[in-house]
Amino acid sequence: MSPTTYLADSAQAVLTAILAAGQRVVAPVEQAGLLAFAHVEQAEQAQLIGQTRASAKELAFPRTQRLFGYRFGNPGVELLPGEEPPAPTVLFGVRPCDAAGLAILDGVFGAEPADAPYLARRARITVVGLSCDQPQAHCACTAVGLSPTATDGSDLLLTPLAEGVLVEVLTARGAALVDLLGEALRPGAADKAEVTARAEAAMAPRALPAGLADGLAAAFGEAAWADAAARCLGCGTCAFVCPTCHCFDVVDESNLRGGQRLRVWDACQFGLFTLHASGHNPRADQAARYRQRALHKFSYYPRAHGRPMCVGCGRCVNACPAGMDIFEVAATAAAGQG
Amino acid sequence: MRTETYEPHLMTVAQVRDETADVRTLRLTFTDPALADSFAYRAGQFAFYSAFGEGESVFCIASSPTETGYVECSFKLTGKVTSALRRLSEGDVMGFRGPYGNSFPIDEMVGHNLVFIGGGIGMAPVRSILVNCLDRRSEFGDITILNGARSAADLVYRDQTDAWTARSDVRCVKTVDPGGDSEGWDGEVGLIPHVLERLAPTPHNTKVVLCGPPIMIKFSLISLEKMGFSGEQVITTLENRMKCGVGKCGRCNIGGAYVCCDGPVFTAAQIAALPQEF
Amino acid sequence: MSTETLLTPSAPDTATWKPRLVAFVCNWCTYTGADLAGTSRTEYPANVRIVRLPCSGRIDPHFIIRAFEQGADGVLVSGCHPGDCHYTAGNYHARRKFMVLHALAEFLGIEPERLQFSWVSAAEGRKWADVVSDVVAGLLRVGPVQPTWGGAGELPVRSLSEPPRPVPEPLDVVGELRATAQRWLSDCRVDVFVGYGQGSLPGRLRPAFITSPDEVDQLVWNEHAVNNLATYLTRGLVKRHGRVGLLVKSCDARAVVGLLQERQIEREQVTLLGVPCIGVEVDGALAPKCHTCDSAWPALVDEVLSAEVPLTPVDGEGLAAEIAWVEKMSPAQRRAWWQAQFDRCLRCYACRAVCPLCYCSQCIADQSRPQWVSKSSDGRGNLAWNLVRAFHLAGRCVGCGECTRVCPSNIRLDLLNAKLAQVVRDEFGYVAGGDPDLPPPLTTYLLEDHEEFIR
Repeated sequence: MSPTTYLADSAQAVLTAILAAGQRVVAPVEQAGLLAFAHVEQAEQAQLIGQTRASAKELAFPRTQRLFGYRFGNPGVELLPGEEPPAPTVLFGVRPCDAAGLAILDGVFGAEPADAPYLARRARITVVGLSCDQPQAHCACTAVGLSPTATDGSDLLLTPLAEGVLVEVLTARGAALVDLLGEALRPGAADKAEVTARAEAAMAPRALPAGLADGLAAAFGEAAWADAAARCLGCGTCAFVCPTCHCFDVVDESNLRGGQRLRVWDACQFGLFTLHASGHNPRADQAARYRQRALHKFSYYPRAHGRPMCVGCGRCVNACPAGMDIFEVAATAAAGQG
Repeated sequence: MRTETYEPHLMTVAQVRDETADVRTLRLTFTDPALADSFAYRAGQFAFYSAFGEGESVFCIASSPTETGYVECSFKLTGKVTSALRRLSEGDVMGFRGPYGNSFPIDEMVGHNLVFIGGGIGMAPVRSILVNCLDRRSEFGDITILNGARSAADLVYRDQTDAWTARSDVRCVKTVDPGGDSEGWDGEVGLIPHVLERLAPTPHNTKVVLCGPPIMIKFSLISLEKMGFSGEQVITTLENRMKCGVGKCGRCNIGGAYVCCDGPVFTAAQIAALPQEF
Repeated sequence: MSTETLLTPSAPDTATWKPRLVAFVCNWCTYTGADLAGTSRTEYPANVRIVRLPCSGRIDPHFIIRAFEQGADGVLVSGCHPGDCHYTAGNYHARRKFMVLHALAEFLGIEPERLQFSWVSAAEGRKWADVVSDVVAGLLRVGPVQPTWGGAGELPVRSLSEPPRPVPEPLDVVGELRATAQRWLSDCRVDVFVGYGQGSLPGRLRPAFITSPDEVDQLVWNEHAVNNLATYLTRGLVKRHGRVGLLVKSCDARAVVGLLQERQIEREQVTLLGVPCIGVEVDGALAPKCHTCDSAWPALVDEVLSAEVPLTPVDGEGLAAEIAWVEKMSPAQRRAWWQAQFDRCLRCYACRAVCPLCYCSQCIADQSRPQWVSKSSDGRGNLAWNLVRAFHLAGRCVGCGECTRVCPSNIRLDLLNAKLAQVVRDEFGYVAGGDPDLPPPLTTYLLEDHEEFIR
C-alpha cells in the first residue's frame, strides 16, 4: 500500500498549523549569517530555503549530554539521574539528506544493546521532511542512493509542487501529527516525479564508483592515503557537521561535592581519539585517521548494512578548512588500488 | 535495576592487592545484594570501572565466573582514571558497568589440551579463563601455563603462579626477560616465545590462550606457527581505546570489527584477516 | 537537577547568595600581608578563598579561567609591588599578562568587578583587608555570576559598521608562479612546493603540494587563495618532504615571521615565494583583514612574483570599527553578544587546526591531567576554550583571519584576536609578525608598563 498523502497550500501553511496545534517546533532559522535549527514560535521565523550549516542530528544526539550525575556522600556515592529529554518536538523542514541521517543514527544507536539516552530523545521527535528543490554545488545525495525527495527518516515529507505542497504520511508518528492539523491538509495525491527529476538535474554530477566498499577495503595498505591526507589538518569540522557521524567521548566534570558524566561529540580525525593510555596509537598519523573516516563511511558500514554511512549532504566538503573532498579521495584511493 | 546504558553499578572495594609496584588488583562486591546474585559473566569479558569525578577505564574481568560473589580487576597505573582507582581503599565506593564483549570459547576448549600464555598485565584475562578451566579441571587434557614479565618485580599473580606450579595436574612456568631476574628468582629467564619453544607443547588437539603486549603477541604467534599451531588454535584478546562498550562511540574498531562487540576475544586466524591497524 | 547545582557549591539564589571570591596571591608579599591582617585581628569579609602561589608570575590565567568555570563569582590576583618581587621580575611579567587578560575580560563583557588585581606587600595587612572588602562589595553590586553562559538576547551578531566590499580582479601571476616553482623543484632547491590548486567545488582553491616539476600546472592563483599555507610548516611538512618552498601572501609571511621568532622552524628549511596580493574573497566579499592591509608585498621572501600592483588606498577601519562597535555596548549586552556566539561553538577546533601559530604538539584543551578546559561543548566549556585560545594568541596573532573563515559556527574570533592585538600595540608598542628578532611581548616587560588597572 502506498503511503497516505495529503495536499496543503504551502510548507509554511503546514508549519503554521503545527504551531497552532500547540506543538513545540524546531526548524531552520537564520542566525548570524547562517542557517541553524532552533526553536520557533511563529511560522515566519522559519527559513525554509537552503541548507543549515549543521545537520539536524543535534536534537537527538546533542553536543553535550548528561548521562548521569553523582554526589559524593560520606561515605559512598549517590547516583543522580541523567538529563531530562526535551519536550516532544516537531523537527520541521528537515532536508531528505538530514532525515536519512537520522535514520542511520537510529540504526546505530538502536542496535542492541541500545543506547538509552539517544532513544529517550529520539522518541520525542517527529520529523517533518521537506524535499529539496535547490541543490547546492556540494550536494551529492544521488551518489549515495538517495534523492532530493527521498523519504528515509521522515515521519511526514513535504514536497513543494506547482499547485501547493504534497504531504506524504510515512509513519504512525506522522499520522498522529496529521490528526492534529485539521483543515490545513486536504486528502489528495500528486506526482512528485517531476520535482525529483528537476532537482536531480540541477545537481552537479557526482557519483561513487561501483564496488567502492570492496575497492576501499583492498586499498587499505595503499600509500595513496598519505598523499590524500596531506592537506587534512585534523580538526573535527567534517564529523561535527555530518548528519551521520556519531562518535563520542565520555568525560567526567566534577568538583569536591559531586559531578556528572557527560557524553560529548568526538571525531576520528583528532589524534587523541584512539590513543591508548600506554602511548600506543593504532591510528598514529593523519593518513590512518582520514582512511578510517573514508572507510567507515564507504566500506565498513556499507559492508555491514548495505548502504554508505553518508547521506550526500556534502557539508563536510563545503566546510572543510583545507578543501578535502571525501568523495574524491575515496574514489581515487579505490581506483588507485591494484 | 539499572535502566540507562551508561550508568554504572555501585560497587564496594572489598580488597586491595598490589601485584607489582604499578599493578593493583581490586576485588569489588555489589552494594545491591540482588545484583550480586543475578550478576553473571563469562571469562574474557570486560567492564568499565568508574572513579567518580575522574572517569571510566576499561579492563577485562580478571576473576573467574566460578569465583562467585565478587569481581576482580587488575590494572596498571597509566593515566588519570587508574591513578584515581589507586587512591581507593577498602570500603570505598566505585562504579562498574559490564560485562561487555564476547568471551573465551570455553565449550570449544573442552576435551583439548590447553596452553595459557600471559605477558605482563596480559595475564589478567588469561587468569580469568585459566581459573575457570582449573575449576573444571577434569574436562580438559594437559594444561600448560606460561606467565612472563619484563622482570621479576613485574610478574603479576606471583602467589597464584606458585600455587599452580605446585599442582601436579598442570605444568606452570614463570619467566622473565633476560636481565630481568633478580636474586632468588626461581623461574625461567628468557623471552616468552623462546621459553615457549623450549616447553614445546604439542599442537595436537591443543588450544592456546595468548594475551600480552603487541610485540610479545607478534613473536609468540611466529613461534606457535613454527611449532605447528594453526591460527584457529590460538585465541587471543585485543584491546583498543573505548568509551561505550556497546558499539556506538566509534573508536575501538579494527576495520569493520568492533573490539567491544565482536571482541575482545579473537582467534589468531581472525586477527590475520583484519586490517593491520592495532 | 541541573548541571549548575551539581557543579557549583551553591545555587545562585539571590536571597541567600554570598559572593565567592577566589584570591590567587603570591607567597612572599600578599600572602604574608593577608597573614598580617589575620594576626592583627583586622576584620574583612570571609568570602575570600586564598590560593597561595610562589609568585604572581606563576599565576597562570588558566587558574583564573578555571576558577570562573568552577563557579567563582570573582577573582582577585595579588602580588608584590613593582620592585619588590622575591624573584626580581615575576610581577613585571605578571603585569603584562594581566593587562591582556583584563582587556579580554572587559571586551567579553565580564563585569570589571569580577576580575581585580592588586599589589599588597607583606606590611600591608590593612590594605589587604580594604581590597578584599572593596572587591566583595563590588561583587555584591553585580550579583551572582550568570549560572550559564547561555540564553542570549536578540542582538545582531554581525555588525554592519563597514559595508561588504567587492574583491578586486586578481593579479595575473600564474605563469610566473608555475615557472618559479618548476625552477625551484628542477634545481632541487626545494623538495616540495606548497601553493594553491583547484578545489573540488566551483570557485574554491585549496592547498596543493607539488613534488615534481611536471606537476606545476596544478598551481593556480586568484582571489580564492585564502588558506594561510604557513600552517603546514609545523604540521609534519618538513619532516615528510625536507626543504619546503612556500607561496606566501603578505599576511601569510607574517605568520612565518612568528614561527621563526618562536623557533618553530629554521629559516633554511623554507624558501619563500612572495605573491603580491590585493585582496582575497571570503563569503563573497573582500575579506575583512584586507580592508586595512597596507601591503601587497610580503616581507622576508626569497623571491617575489612581479606584477603591476594598482594603488588602492587603505581606507576605513576594518576590524577596528567593529571592535569599537562592540565596545559601545554595555557590558551585559556585550556578554550576551559573545554568549550567543560561544554557545554555537562545536569544539571542532578548526580554529586551532588552521592557525599557523597554534602549533603545540599537545594543546592545553586536550590535557586531562590536570584538565584545564572543560571538554563539554556547553556554556562553561566553550567560554573557557575561547578565552584560552584568544589569550594564547595575544601578541602572537598575525591577523590572517583563518580561524574566522573556517569556523563552522561563524564565531567572530577575528575580533577577539584583533582586540588583543590592539592592546598589545597600544600598551607594549608591539605588532606581531613584523620583526623576527624581537622578543614576543608577553615574554618580556618594561619597568614603565602601565598598571592603572591594578589597585
